[in-house]
Amino acid sequence: MAAVLSPKDFATATPSWWCPGCGDYGVLSALKSALAEIGRLPKDVAFVSGIGCSGKISGYVHAYAFHGVHGRALPVATAVKLANHDLTVIAAGGDGDGYAIGAGHFLHAVRRNPNVTYIVMDNQTYGLTKGQSSPTSSTGYVTGTSPQGNPDAPINGLAVALAAGGSFLARGFSAHPKKLVDLIRVAIEHEGFSVVEVMSPCVTYNKINTYAWFKENVYYVDEKPDYDPSNRSQAFEAMTDEGKIPLGVLYRDNRATLESLMHLPERPLTALELSSAGSQLEALQSVYR
Amino acid sequence: MILNDIEIMFGGQAGDGSLTTGDLIAGVFKRMGLEVYTYKDFPSRIRGGHTNYVIRAGEHPNYGMADAVDGLVAFDLEAVEAHIDELRAGGFVVFDNTSETVSGPLRRADVTWYDVPLAKIAKEELGLELARNTISLGVLAKLIGMDPAIVRADVTRVYQRKGQKVVDLNVRAIEAGETYVERHFAEFPSGYGLQARPDGERLLMMGNDAIAYGALVAGCRFMAGYPITPATDVLEWMAQHLPAFGGVTVQAEDELAAINMVLGASFAGVRSMTATSGPGQALMTEAIGLAGVLEIPVVIVECARTGPSTGMPTKTEQSNLNHLIFSGHGEIPRVVLAPGTVEDSFYISAQAFDLAEKYQCPVFVLTEQALCQSKATLPHLDVGSVSIDRGKLQTEPVVFGDYARFEFTDDGVSRRTIPGVEGGMHLAAGSEHSPQGVITENSRNRTRMMDKRMGKLESMRPDLPRPIVHGDPAADIAILGYGSNRGPIVEAVERLERAGVSTRFFEFRTLWPFPEDEVRAFLAGARHAIVVENNFTGQLERLIRYVVGPLEGMHLLNKYDGKPFRPIEIIEAVERHALLRAPVPVQVRR
Repeated sequence: MAAVLSPKDFATATPSWWCPGCGDYGVLSALKSALAEIGRLPKDVAFVSGIGCSGKISGYVHAYAFHGVHGRALPVATAVKLANHDLTVIAAGGDGDGYAIGAGHFLHAVRRNPNVTYIVMDNQTYGLTKGQSSPTSSTGYVTGTSPQGNPDAPINGLAVALAAGGSFLARGFSAHPKKLVDLIRVAIEHEGFSVVEVMSPCVTYNKINTYAWFKENVYYVDEKPDYDPSNRSQAFEAMTDEGKIPLGVLYRDNRATLESLMHLPERPLTALELSSAGSQLEALQSVYR
Repeated sequence: MILNDIEIMFGGQAGDGSLTTGDLIAGVFKRMGLEVYTYKDFPSRIRGGHTNYVIRAGEHPNYGMADAVDGLVAFDLEAVEAHIDELRAGGFVVFDNTSETVSGPLRRADVTWYDVPLAKIAKEELGLELARNTISLGVLAKLIGMDPAIVRADVTRVYQRKGQKVVDLNVRAIEAGETYVERHFAEFPSGYGLQARPDGERLLMMGNDAIAYGALVAGCRFMAGYPITPATDVLEWMAQHLPAFGGVTVQAEDELAAINMVLGASFAGVRSMTATSGPGQALMTEAIGLAGVLEIPVVIVECARTGPSTGMPTKTEQSNLNHLIFSGHGEIPRVVLAPGTVEDSFYISAQAFDLAEKYQCPVFVLTEQALCQSKATLPHLDVGSVSIDRGKLQTEPVVFGDYARFEFTDDGVSRRTIPGVEGGMHLAAGSEHSPQGVITENSRNRTRMMDKRMGKLESMRPDLPRPIVHGDPAADIAILGYGSNRGPIVEAVERLERAGVSTRFFEFRTLWPFPEDEVRAFLAGARHAIVVENNFTGQLERLIRYVVGPLEGMHLLNKYDGKPFRPIEIIEAVERHALLRAPVPVQVRR
């Protein structure tokens, strides 16, 4: 049931710890607007985040928020959804949280396809530990831990997710608020695991991938008349193209969700009446007689 | 003739079916009204490698292994080589002499040898070499006097799902074994006999099944785990049974995911658990710290095996005690419980969920391979007696702003809202937080929060499983131990008593928070204390020393060879440490 809500209904009184100008403000504001548009009450939203600058976002969203250990937001979010599928479940974290320490869980969440939305706030650096290279930093990126230039190739999270069976893969830019609200809303409404990777510049440490740089280097796939987000090969081509960075819904399909494949009962697990008595429980002893 | 007191060992190659036959024998013993304990000693591989299965039966409940094996059924020479020394003088060996012979010193003169060409009979009379296992059951049944009707009924039951043809074949195999004994060994009795007793409502259950069943009865409706020996049985049991009760089992991608899923499901309001062993436990450490600081109830079953690293995955050990009590960065309240029997595994597992939810913290159920993968007979389990107390779970609406998820309370436990509850929205953060859940590094708040959380270790004490004191509580000689060692220790205590030596035995069922007062009270007046455990460093002994001070008369009986204790080892330790030495009063620090 949709209630009439405004973004303010999802605001907390907690002051932000982010630097002024941080791309994460754009993500937070878009998320609150998207939630308000969808009209789920804060009590029915579970929001799980990882560790890092991006992980702090769970403290700024008025909901049932969970700020866990580094890289493990997706197992937590998946289980919250399985425990109570009536909830709107969202996970968020940075490129380090999702594509480095939590990369394994990312792949497995994609292949499980729970009805959970995952927002990857990609600033291509480790901000909170003061600017080391991240799994999405460019090769050659010079930092305190890569003084001779980052020797690793950047990971292409969406392309990897596409290969793993991703059912909703989108990318946004935190300086494009309206488009980002739409992307996040559509992602939450998608039945299945939806990934929204958001280019979210770090104004303090990343002097290469700046707002200005992104404005020059992004485009929206829906500007291309022939782009079909249900076409896997086309999506893969766009995701892996060496040119400008594609934004928008890059791929989507209607693969069965984890909840449906697990044949979850209609009533959420949290609504089950628990009792130790009963013939059904008792009967389990008979095979041991 | 020795009546109703026998330990049989089946020895052969992994994957050759001897485990199925071992289970069959255990079932027959149980239906003959005897008390049964089984112990699986198998290699960490699927096919090949020496394996053995010990089945002990008698009139005494809560067994472990006996001092020695009475009857060895050896499918190959390797089994004889490996176990002939474990045989009791006067015992017997059934040996498959189809292609090998036993000679020289291996062919002990003080045991009876029954050479039976099992494989040959299987091939020639039944056309299937695999049937030699069932033939050996027929041989054994005849030699020790198993009830033929029960044997046939059990064989039928076990093979029913494979069709009548397979049932018929196995019944013929039984007959072939019996006939062979009648024809060749009529003049050579084994010296062992069985007399049926009423079976009643008893069960024959494996420790891991009892743990899983206890969890289900206690309302656990979510399990996430990653397959690992010897804990996988719990995951498989829950995967089979949870759906019928509306629950969910997830095979996670690793133990990091498994424990974080358990946190997520519990945060959402479902009673949740995982089960693992040492290596998985190590991976779960960080998230267990998170459960401590988020005050989320989680139950973690630790089925210990030998470590470190891969160790010996299928062998028993008690070397994870320190890990459960002390692992993790930072300090959290946690509970470590340890059942001593299969029956207790059910009740302790069930109780773990109440403790976890009432005190909103991680609760470990610690067991080990020699208990969790062993089967034992036990009385009918009283499921209705299991309590489900959800503590301060708050499912009614609260007033946002008034409600504080981590409010300071006398017992350290705060009302816990779950998603969906009006007004209860909050941030559950692994960062230090205020009563309202707001992240803060304020040092006064930090101190109060630590005091609140750690204070639960004291407030929970009245609810913790009590230790059991066995034997004569006033005896000079005290023994302390837990887990699978309960069986051999209790047996040693009773045998010593019959020999005129009184001992007292403290069976820990709660290991953390450490039962300091109970241990002090127990040790008072003792002149010798022997701590029995399966590890190198004496982890329990050190804990006791840490609490009650250095003890003059305190001794460690430990081993770390992957095998459980036999009662004689405990009796010998009592002789060595207590009976042959001048008594020294045990000093208890006050």
